[in-house]
Amino acid sequence: MMRGLTCASLLLFSTALGWSIISAREPRIPEAQVTYRPIQIQEGGYVSSDTCKACHPAQYEAWHGSFHRTMTQLPTTDTVRADFDGVRVTDVPGNPIDLELRENEFWAEFGDPDWKSSGAGERPRIRRQIVMLTGSHYQQVYWYRTDRTRVVGQLPATYLINERRWIPRDSALLHPPVEKPGSETGRWNAICVNCHATDGKRRFDAPADVETVGASSMTADTKVGEFGIACEACHGPAAEHARQNRNPMRRYWQYLTGKADRSAIVQPAQLNPVRSSQVCGQCHGVWEFFDQEAERKANSIGLQYRPGDELRDTRVVVQPTKNQDSPTVRAILDAYPGYLNDSFWSDGMIRVSGREYNGLIDSPCFRNATDEKHTLTCFSCHTMHKTPDDPRPIAEWADTHQVAPGMDSNGACLQCHAAIGTNVPAHTKHQPASTGSSCYNCHMPYTTYGLLRALRSHQISSPTVAASIETGRPNACNSCHLDKTLAWTSDYLERWYATPKVRLSDDEQTVAASLLSLLKGDAGQRAVAAWSMGWAPAQRVSGTGWMGVPLAMLLNDPYDAVRLIAHRSLRSLPGFDGFQSDFLAPSSERIGDTVRALDNWRRTLQPGDRRTDPALLLDAAGSPRMDAIIRLGLQRNDRPVVLRE
Amino acid sequence: MAERDYARRHLRFGWWSLLFFTMLGLMLESLHGFKVPAYLDASNETRRLMWTLAHAHGTLLSIVHVIFGLCVRVAPEMSARNRPLISWCLIGASLLLPGGFFLGGVVFYGGDPGVAVLLVPVGAASMMIAVFFIARMAASTGHDSASHGEGTRPRKDGARGSAGKR
Repeated sequence: MMRGLTCASLLLFSTALGWSIISAREPRIPEAQVTYRPIQIQEGGYVSSDTCKACHPAQYEAWHGSFHRTMTQLPTTDTVRADFDGVRVTDVPGNPIDLELRENEFWAEFGDPDWKSSGAGERPRIRRQIVMLTGSHYQQVYWYRTDRTRVVGQLPATYLINERRWIPRDSALLHPPVEKPGSETGRWNAICVNCHATDGKRRFDAPADVETVGASSMTADTKVGEFGIACEACHGPAAEHARQNRNPMRRYWQYLTGKADRSAIVQPAQLNPVRSSQVCGQCHGVWEFFDQEAERKANSIGLQYRPGDELRDTRVVVQPTKNQDSPTVRAILDAYPGYLNDSFWSDGMIRVSGREYNGLIDSPCFRNATDEKHTLTCFSCHTMHKTPDDPRPIAEWADTHQVAPGMDSNGACLQCHAAIGTNVPAHTKHQPASTGSSCYNCHMPYTTYGLLRALRSHQISSPTVAASIETGRPNACNSCHLDKTLAWTSDYLERWYATPKVRLSDDEQTVAASLLSLLKGDAGQRAVAAWSMGWAPAQRVSGTGWMGVPLAMLLNDPYDAVRLIAHRSLRSLPGFDGFQSDFLAPSSERIGDTVRALDNWRRTLQPGDRRTDPALLLDAAGSPRMDAIIRLGLQRNDRPVVLRE
Repeated sequence: MAERDYARRHLRFGWWSLLFFTMLGLMLESLHGFKVPAYLDASNETRRLMWTLAHAHGTLLSIVHVIFGLCVRVAPEMSARNRPLISWCLIGASLLLPGGFFLGGVVFYGGDPGVAVLLVPVGAASMMIAVFFIARMAASTGHDSASHGEGTRPRKDGARGSAGKR
């Protein structure tokens, strides 16, 4: 009896155990056997962050909370920010896009972006599984399997995380309006792989000199060490370091003697300023292959730069002030004359986001530094691992661009310029606690563009009116004092800093600089000016009662990105909180939005906010001087602008 | 020291120790409940593991003490020969094993516990010595009782045991 009961219990227990194990295991295909997307395979001494975590949990935790990690991810219900559960997306290419979440798989049905029209028939609809995604801070881009080896295609819509809204993929970038967006199939394999993954290898079958993106016949065996920018992107391949430190005696000897392990691993913060900045510059810089042969080599074995190496040994860092006439840059300019204009202001200052290294190396604090201790590097202000003395949660640290504690204030610059710190107003001529006394606001103004917003320039500079006139770039003074003219700025700069005056046109003397950018500037200038009108410090300094008019004008700008930014800024003005305007609407409707915005401005303007400054193109009654607005608008710089962020 | 003193020592040590490690468990649960970063942050994973191990080992060893105390009381011959050694080894293990784990989690080096974790192998050796002698004697005691003990105890029905039957 007892034996029978015991056997029955054992049988029951074994069955339950087996069932538990089977049901707990997800039916997951081993990564090496995945055939329809780029895969994560560690080769060439790379081991992945999983290995690093065992000994460096704090560093792993900080990195894990950063946006570096999430540059490329696999789609899961945790990583996908958009709602895929039976959602239909309209007003985008591929219209409509039907999204579906099916047993933790993400699917989309849409018009085939790769279909080549032969004049007849409609674009066929395809149904594809989403297999990767890029971005996680402001936007997410989704990549679908094409089943042409590991080549992935890009869903023709981008998801704006904060707005919780889908927009056409092409509207997320600043470039001239396009009738029919081109195919982006293969772009991840060809371009994104370099800096949205660690140790990426394109491995296209086609020669590298053939334009691969969008080519219907391409195949690729794209492999990466790890998706996202992981530990080894900055510290180099870690297999040897991990092997050496498996010995506990070795580790405890290091702990107890305080001797840091320098073996077989790179500590970027401890490299000299040039090399440490290059670690960041490998991705945060504008660069090109030396030639097609170098590109072919990278296609098969990946980029050859390793942290600690000299970056310029393996690529050309494009720096218009230094190598505009180099054979590589000349060859690119011959093929694509707008190449430099799409990334740089005309004086060589970088104007797009994500390329901060270019700003750094052209900064006097880097270029003219006399010793390593007083040389500006990325690590002067940023930290890749939240430090123990930083009280902020990791999410907040990551959201504020991984700035080190105390480096979000004048403390950053006062590390070297300590003398100014003893009497800040004597240098800034502004109240000590005001935004005008912030080093950042004067020397790193918001003059670069990316991700549908303006960002701080990382080229340290001092404001001059001459540079504004020469390049069209807003100077720091007029980025905050939006209601002032260049003449006003020129007067103050001469009085305070003995900056020589320059000859100004009538408009430059009499019309607010921001309005000149907004009405006459190119699309990039208009986007930055529109963003500045939504920047709280500028709104406080310049007042908001006049901004409704110029922003209303931009609701009908030819560029999608400019309209979207103008609408955002408009909604930040008093009286415009719930103002609706669809930046994707046809031009005829957008004119109506402009009229409604102007009407709303008239109705909601408080008497105390009313301005009558001629520089703001307002008459004595506070009404817009439409003749002047139209006159300046007709002078708009309609050069096609493609900002390569 | 008489066998009843050993029994009392281990029962007392075991139950007080169980109380202590139960309280430690409660403290760890509180750290979970209040989401204390010093315990729960991923960067403190080593501390969490060490303190959990301290709690688990301390609790189990407390129970071992109680069992050993009861064994000394009901089967004194089981540990008669090496009782002092076994007793001190068990107490040593109860201090060194959870103590090493706990202190190893107070100060630690990334993914490695602090040097106090070196107490753990000493405690483990101490535990193994105690268990070895108990196991050896349990084996011989079992043999002895099979040949000598059984049949001497009266059965409920008043008859002798199997040996007597024979």
